[in-house]
Amino acid sequence: MIKSTLLASSLGIVLCFSGFSGALAQKTSLNIGLASADAGVLDPHMNSATTGKSFLQQLFNGLVRLKPGEISPDQIEPDLAESWTSSPDGKVWTFNLRKGVQCHHNFGEFTAEDAVFSLKRAATRETSTFSSDYAAFDSVEAPDKYTVRITLKNPIPSLLGVVMNYHGGQMVCKAAVEQMGNEAFRRRPIGTGPFAFAEYVPQQYGKLVANDQYFRGKPVLREITFRLIPSDAARDLAFQAGELDMLYARQDQTSFNRLKQTPGVNAYAMNPAEMSVLHFNMTMPPLDNLKVRQAVAHALDREGIHQFRGRDVSRQAVSVVPNGYLGTLPNAPLLPHNLQKAKDLLTEAGFPNGITLKTIHTTLPGMLSFMEAVQAQLRRAGITLEITPVEHATFHQQIRQNLSQVVHFQAARFPVADVYLSQFFHSRAIVGTPTAVTNFSHCKVADAEIDAARSEPDKAKQIALWHEAQRKIVTEVCAVPMNESLQLWALRDTLDLGYEVKGALNLGPGVLETSKFTR
Amino acid sequence: MRSTSGRACWKPASSRADYGTGVTAFLVRRFGFACITLFAVLTIIFLIVRILPGDPAQVILGDQADAAAIAALRTRLGLDRPLLVQYASFLAGAIRGDWGVSLVTGRPVIQEVLSVLPWTIELTFFALLVGAVIGIPLGVWAAINRNRVPDYAIRIASLLGLSFPAFVSGILLLIGLAIQLRWFPVISGQRSTWTQWLQSLVLPAINLGLIMAAYITRVTRSAMLEVLSEDYVRTARAKGVPWRAVVWRHALRNALIPIITIVGLYLGVLIGNSVLTEIVFNRPGLGKLIVGALNQRDYTMLQGMMVIYTLLVVAINLATDLVYGIADPRVKLQ
Amino acid sequence: MTEAVSKSPPSGLSRLATAMLRAFNTNKTSWVGLVLFLVIVVLAVLAPWISPHDPIEQDFFSKLQPPSATYWLGTDYYGRDILSRLLHGARYSLIIGIAATFFAMVLGSFIGIVSGYYGGRFDTLTMQIMDILLAFPSLILGLIIVAMLGPTLTNIIVAIALTSVPSFARIARAPTIAVKEREFVEAGRALGFSDARLMFVHILPNIAAEILVMFSLWTASSIRTEASLAFIGLGLKPPTPTWGGMIREGFENILESYWLALMPGLSILLVVFALNLLGDGLRDAIDPKLKGEQ
Repeated sequence: MIKSTLLASSLGIVLCFSGFSGALAQKTSLNIGLASADAGVLDPHMNSATTGKSFLQQLFNGLVRLKPGEISPDQIEPDLAESWTSSPDGKVWTFNLRKGVQCHHNFGEFTAEDAVFSLKRAATRETSTFSSDYAAFDSVEAPDKYTVRITLKNPIPSLLGVVMNYHGGQMVCKAAVEQMGNEAFRRRPIGTGPFAFAEYVPQQYGKLVANDQYFRGKPVLREITFRLIPSDAARDLAFQAGELDMLYARQDQTSFNRLKQTPGVNAYAMNPAEMSVLHFNMTMPPLDNLKVRQAVAHALDREGIHQFRGRDVSRQAVSVVPNGYLGTLPNAPLLPHNLQKAKDLLTEAGFPNGITLKTIHTTLPGMLSFMEAVQAQLRRAGITLEITPVEHATFHQQIRQNLSQVVHFQAARFPVADVYLSQFFHSRAIVGTPTAVTNFSHCKVADAEIDAARSEPDKAKQIALWHEAQRKIVTEVCAVPMNESLQLWALRDTLDLGYEVKGALNLGPGVLETSKFTR
Repeated sequence: MRSTSGRACWKPASSRADYGTGVTAFLVRRFGFACITLFAVLTIIFLIVRILPGDPAQVILGDQADAAAIAALRTRLGLDRPLLVQYASFLAGAIRGDWGVSLVTGRPVIQEVLSVLPWTIELTFFALLVGAVIGIPLGVWAAINRNRVPDYAIRIASLLGLSFPAFVSGILLLIGLAIQLRWFPVISGQRSTWTQWLQSLVLPAINLGLIMAAYITRVTRSAMLEVLSEDYVRTARAKGVPWRAVVWRHALRNALIPIITIVGLYLGVLIGNSVLTEIVFNRPGLGKLIVGALNQRDYTMLQGMMVIYTLLVVAINLATDLVYGIADPRVKLQ
Repeated sequence: MTEAVSKSPPSGLSRLATAMLRAFNTNKTSWVGLVLFLVIVVLAVLAPWISPHDPIEQDFFSKLQPPSATYWLGTDYYGRDILSRLLHGARYSLIIGIAATFFAMVLGSFIGIVSGYYGGRFDTLTMQIMDILLAFPSLILGLIIVAMLGPTLTNIIVAIALTSVPSFARIARAPTIAVKEREFVEAGRALGFSDARLMFVHILPNIAAEILVMFSLWTASSIRTEASLAFIGLGLKPPTPTWGGMIREGFENILESYWLALMPGLSILLVVFALNLLGDGLRDAIDPKLKGEQ
């Protein structure tokens, strides 16, 4: 009987206090809700996933950085480098580093030697996912303690893009990597950013603490906890209940509208949009047949998907390079939705009874729901799409092993056409080859244009080459670009990140030293 | 949720008296049996993990690794040794407490398990508490009102309780108490203050506890019916001991032995079934860890967890047997 | 072992039918369960003809609609009719639940009867293996098997069947031990009947009632396990409508449209409850000892 009294009284206490749960929290700790169960490898040079990038960006600086909240490459400002110059031919770049920057957890001062080490690490295939970005690097040297000199084999469209606080440009501390080794570094990443790594518990959370030696000043927030909550509903509920201050919102119009109307909440639909593209593996029948690919393209309905994904939170894709990138072809000859045409083409190709396509797909709800919508569209044209759902990491692994006939890839890249084109549509990037990146379709029709554009000094000619490349890829139907979904985030209105939240190249609004709670 | 086989479960338990003559012999036999079970299950686990498709070395290094690197890692992991040698070292490791290192996080499996174990233990404990507090009185009440309205009502209600998949009841609780009424938090992950801890525990514990209560109610009812028909209860009544005292002091005390046994048997199932509760309430725990390891193809983690789980189940079964053997006077008598 | 069985003469299916009928009449709740269950079965069988809409066809302009005259139970995230998906989903739930339990029953009873009939070391060993399998919760075991084999209809049935084999083995073994000592079996043995004939012609009909009762209870359990697997993400592939999968999808929309998760949740509850009512009532009637005092 004592037991039941205890339970009854504890229930009573819970009911009394539940109303105050929000007010009890110290307002110098920030809780962020992220959308997957695992942040992946905690190495800025390896991790290209949304969750990992949002988490890691606070730990690292680049030589230069994008102004917080901006995504356009012309909004670059100094970071670890105070100033930089380039030779007239654009082949030699010199960066002058800030003095006295300290690595986290007493790993010493960040100097030119660290920058050289970090860039070389980012350019090495074994230690970096982004090594192909550095293919044009001839040498990286440190003439003195605070100078970094990069020599290129040929000029590239955006050198600053690969030395900024993004992907391989994030600077790791040499002493930390060398003392701990890569394995241990990935369990305890060390950088120079406003927040330092504290703890990571898979399936639960990652925790960062303020770096009081940060060169831009002592952070106002003392602690950031990134909660890993794959379920959209659970994350949203937690935010509604005041347990999170900021969250990666469900990629859906209805939820977004509700968040927007919630008092005390600011909801943002941010760039860069992640473009959903269906890549057709052209080495696998029947997709080796152009008519079949055209039929599939005609069966797809971009307008319908736009309606499905939401009018304000997504937009229709225009080309195989996303909207607004430098060099995007705004009116690419994408095949229009036409069911009759699709059926006719299938009949012409010798499949009057339709075809069956197989796809390996991630279980991430936002992506999977898109694919189920695509599945329903194709069904109307007699095309059966068999979806095999696998966990996100397995998905990434298997699509790179050439196992999926159709690959749905959703990504944003550095906003210059060259990056998207060379990673997804250049023959060097074909999956299963030694130089593989993410060319799932085995597309190779535009190699010449992509290569020529990269070293073309005349801006207008460069853009014309990129346009031509896109026209060729679209005509060959290597892939069908479908929809671009914006990054949906919601913040409590008492949270001031210290800048205007317009975009986030790292796929999550970065937390700065000046970020604070206003109440 | 072996709900429905509840009664069938405890019948063999009562026949366990056959296993030994003296208490010592009984203990020795039970311990020996536990060892054989453990050995057999470890062997099955070893085989299952070897049968699983995919090369662990390939999984660790990813698709971009070259053949030399894979071979080197296979050597480091000991995968190139003869199967029998691997088996021996696996068994030795399992007994010594060396349960491997997670492929994904690189941390020892035991460390990962220990970091979520408190969550599972507290959930299990409070679920049991809720179950006992609700289930035992209801079961007794049903038994003393046998074949009358309260009995029928309780039996049907408990059957309904047993019919709930844990995630359906969990979602109903979430919709009702967390979303509509906003009494409870949704993530059970925060526990920096005492109230937060309690808040985070209540809903999941009620969810598992209600199913537990339905189960305990039925077990209590049938155990009480059996005890109430025994001679000493009739004797006590004949001697004029008040009915209330007979029920609560004499009968229930004796009925508790089978109840504890069955609940003990159910505990392993309870731990396993907390998976669904953990997912719905986004609560860390052993179940969620297993699901995560499966999703990520973390074979070593899976193997280590199965070993730890087996040890746990075998230990719980052994403890239940021992308690039963010591507490039940009939075992001593034989 | 049990009164109902020990009083009945040796063999015959008609005896079994009589015993079942008597059991139904002893406990009226069984009738309620049976009728409920049969209604669900009929609805599932008729699903293609009585569904108001196509369960797979999507309509993005009627996403997430609350219940209305057109969509009696509302629509899901893809604008599909929930009622139609529920009706079709019932087919998969029932097929998997019944098939898995049936295979478990056949295999488990075989193991149990053989083990109980021969006894000795063979019996001890078999039952120890069954105990080990029992030690793993059916959900975790099913989870591992489906994850290993991949989530297809056959694999899910196999996985769920394997998890309930030990229970049937235990259930079949106990009455076998009791029955094999009885006169008619002894007599058969004296007449030189083969072991197989004794086990499956003479013993089996006498323990069939108990096994059939467990069949209804374990079908309930199998349906619940299937739904749980689908909820975790190891269900049949999309767009196949499964109740567990519908709850999984509905859970993501729980803030705006709670009926998405509620309707399939109640469906599972209803069918499991119906089977439990059926089986529980029968068990009490067939095995009066379990009812307590006599």
